[in-house]
Amino acid sequence: MPLLINKKIVANDNWQSIDVESLEQAQALPSGDIIVPLSFYLENRDDLLGRDGQLGIQVNGDDDLQALYAEQDNIALVAVEFPIFRDGRGFSIAKHLVRTGFNGEIRAIGDVARDRLALMQSSGFNAFLIPEDRFSEEDLNAFTEVSVNYQGTAADPRPIFRR
Amino acid sequence: MYQYNEVDQTLVDERVEQYRDQTRRYLAGDLPEDEFLVLRLMNGLYIQRFAPMLRVAIPYGLMSSEQLRKLAHIARTYDKGYGHFTTRTNLQFNWPKLEEVPDILAELAQVQMHAIQTSGNCIRNTTTDPYSGVYANELEDPRAYCEIIRQWSTLHPEFAYLPRKFKIAVTGSTEDRAASQVHDIGLHLVKNDAGEIGFEVLVGGGLGRTPVIGKVVRDFLPKEHLLSYLDAILRVYNLNGRRDNKYKARIKILVNALGVEEFSRLVEEEWEYSRDGELTLTSAEIERAKGFFTPFDYDVNAAADTSFDQKIAEDRAFKTWYERNTVDHRVEGYRIAIVSLKPHLKPAGDITDAQMDLVADLAEKYSFGEIRSTHDQNLVLADVKKADLYSVWQGLEASNLARPNIGTLADMIVCPGFDFCALANAKTLNIADQINERFDDLDHLYDLGDIQLNMSGCINACGHHHVADIGILGVDKKGEDWYQITLGGSSREDAVLGKVLGKSVAADDVANTLEKILDVFVEHRQEEELFRDTYKRIGMDPFKENVYALAH
Repeated sequence: MPLLINKKIVANDNWQSIDVESLEQAQALPSGDIIVPLSFYLENRDDLLGRDGQLGIQVNGDDDLQALYAEQDNIALVAVEFPIFRDGRGFSIAKHLVRTGFNGEIRAIGDVARDRLALMQSSGFNAFLIPEDRFSEEDLNAFTEVSVNYQGTAADPRPIFRR
Repeated sequence: MYQYNEVDQTLVDERVEQYRDQTRRYLAGDLPEDEFLVLRLMNGLYIQRFAPMLRVAIPYGLMSSEQLRKLAHIARTYDKGYGHFTTRTNLQFNWPKLEEVPDILAELAQVQMHAIQTSGNCIRNTTTDPYSGVYANELEDPRAYCEIIRQWSTLHPEFAYLPRKFKIAVTGSTEDRAASQVHDIGLHLVKNDAGEIGFEVLVGGGLGRTPVIGKVVRDFLPKEHLLSYLDAILRVYNLNGRRDNKYKARIKILVNALGVEEFSRLVEEEWEYSRDGELTLTSAEIERAKGFFTPFDYDVNAAADTSFDQKIAEDRAFKTWYERNTVDHRVEGYRIAIVSLKPHLKPAGDITDAQMDLVADLAEKYSFGEIRSTHDQNLVLADVKKADLYSVWQGLEASNLARPNIGTLADMIVCPGFDFCALANAKTLNIADQINERFDDLDHLYDLGDIQLNMSGCINACGHHHVADIGILGVDKKGEDWYQITLGGSSREDAVLGKVLGKSVAADDVANTLEKILDVFVEHRQEEELFRDTYKRIGMDPFKENVYALAH
């Protein structure tokens, strides 16, 4: 799956996303930089934090977001899942993360495609994992299609009347 | 009125090109159907029963003569020569071609217009009192705040994929002509004990299948906090509103499920982060917005005119129109003139390209070049000198836009119903005709006095049937159209939901039933009492008895 960071295609993704089933079947926690679901993180917090390698947490709008925000100093990445195209909760999760000073990677995963990239970036996402079949090189144009923003963005929170 | 600057113009121009590309990718098969559906809806494009329908935004119902002429041009060039005004004060075109929509949007952008967020699960067009700025008892003109909300809500990155659509209305006086209490957010300009002006904030009103009157979440919000507080409400809704069932996804369901106290607590908690932050309105920004809505350069000699009295004395038809279709203006010598889009036996809210051009011309000549659209599907020329009223009336009369029926039973709100809408269960236009045929005597209508009749072709309630003195809801019973009647609703400052009269009536029987309802009113009313007051006094039972007595 193509990964965009800072509006560029990243060749190698050093993060490995692992689902609960694989984690539970494994003899030991995997090494390297891993992304685990929030529920698994909360149950295995100390083991995960005692491990070598960076840690990321995966959430979506159904998770206990306060629990995520309480742990954000311990992690380097939050993967926010968009389960379906119409689910817009991820935008507000990114907004919360930026507001509370999280400065790691905020990665959009799930139903992520061209026509929402610019909105995601304005809301605070800085990495986008796009399904192979939805990706084209032209997607990079999405970030500059509409140059006007009235409300303020994650990068510059001033609304237009304060700029 | 508000004039786009370079930034505003860039936004609509870029949005047109973005949508043009989305349409191209869709037609080329590169964009999945379900995704294009969401994207086109955010640009006001529905697919209706027979054709696409494009809904053009008219921010807080205010447009210029130039803009209305452009709408006429679009109706003529890309559609079948007419448009339809909605309760959201927008204009719908019923027959555009999907592949021509980008061109229509480009035409709109030339006159500072667009179709952004007129549909979809996002913040829709903010509406207000059509008499804003010209009504005598106004606390402050709400349009400056509407414009501030328009900019903040346009292409809001965080709030483009809400659980469901989101509607905001703002009022500037104690009277409510914007149905603000049946909006997701209703904002009322109010003065506090210290004499400062701010907003009373209501949340969770709405119609549809679960009609609810909005609840006060804050008695007084200082005006500089307008956007930060809206931001907090929207974020609480975006994260907590239901997404598993679209019929339970509106904010009213969330407010009811949590209770207004808990909902308010969540909003206040969220607001703590943004209060006094970057979204706080500067006084310079408020003044800038107000600068676009300053009073016109009214003629100081307008009140000295005597020609008006002469015309009134000479021409009875003019006098009738004047009494029914014009309203007091705050400046002496001026009137607010209502253009009736309820001509006899024509669909409510419909207007032809020629009529649009005519209204645009009249506005340019006699009303400072501005036109307003109203929540009840009429147009308003808000600043007409009394001396010019006769000319305005003659122009309107010649174009079938001067039927003196404003406020009467014939001034109905009617959704397009089954004839156009893919959601509708029943027809509405034929029922409106049936009622108009039965109640075609204007003197009879005047005798009945002000009565609001609203009709919807399905429970989505686009015709606002819950909040009318008499509401009519079309239902489908085994393939036949039947009509359920409600009484005693109101969308005004005394907002209340109507109650169901009884079992629904057959299509042929609607006008008969209305007659029976009105007979009860005429029999029981005291002196000049209005229908709504008689209903409040005597209750539902006498109406029920008279309507259903003969059926037994």
